[in-house]
Amino acid sequence: MPQLVPFFFVNQVVFAFVVLTVLIYALSKYILPRFVRLFISRIYINKL
Amino acid sequence: MAARSAALKIDWVKVTSSLGLRGQTAASLQAFKKRNDDARRKVQLLSEQPQTIDFAHYRKVLKNQAIVDEIENQFKTFKPATYDVSRQLKAIEAFEAQAVQSAEETKGKVEAELRSLEKTLENIETARPFDELTVDEVASAQPEIDEKTASMVSKGRWMPAGYKERFGDMSVV
Repeated sequence: MPQLVPFFFVNQVVFAFVVLTVLIYALSKYILPRFVRLFISRIYINKL
Repeated sequence: MAARSAALKIDWVKVTSSLGLRGQTAASLQAFKKRNDDARRKVQLLSEQPQTIDFAHYRKVLKNQAIVDEIENQFKTFKPATYDVSRQLKAIEAFEAQAVQSAEETKGKVEAELRSLEKTLENIETARPFDELTVDEVASAQPEIDEKTASMVSKGRWMPAGYKERFGDMSVV
């Protein structure tokens, strides 16, 4: 299995870091705030 | 003369009904109408009475000529007292101007309020049901939503308080 070959370890670590960073950034900046906004809107409409 | 003809032209019932007067205003208007009617009746009654006196007849009938002479003299020299009502008229005019001004102000206020109420009514009538609204529309109607979202995101909190209790928890874990 190539992921167990030490030659590819650096590559894997780099890609893991990049992917995680992009994921966390996108979630915290764009995706989750949309959900929070939707939830707050739902609560507000239900309060009316 | 002009004032009297103007008073005759007033349709009192119409004034009360068309202006929608109530309570004290209507009562004072009624009192004013009564006063006007009474004065008019009095003038009518007095003007019907004879205004000439046959002094020759009294001279023939009465023995005391001096008193007839005196009364005739008094009658001829009598002049009705005149009153200067210009001050009252001026005061009434000032009051009228003020009343008209305040009425105009009230009219403006009422019109503005009416416009805003019509706008609100139009908003209510053209409003769509909640299930056809988008989040953006709700947020633009209530800017508080965006503020709360920003504050929650900056604190790293992703679930508003009370949401799960109200809408249920969909998460598997």
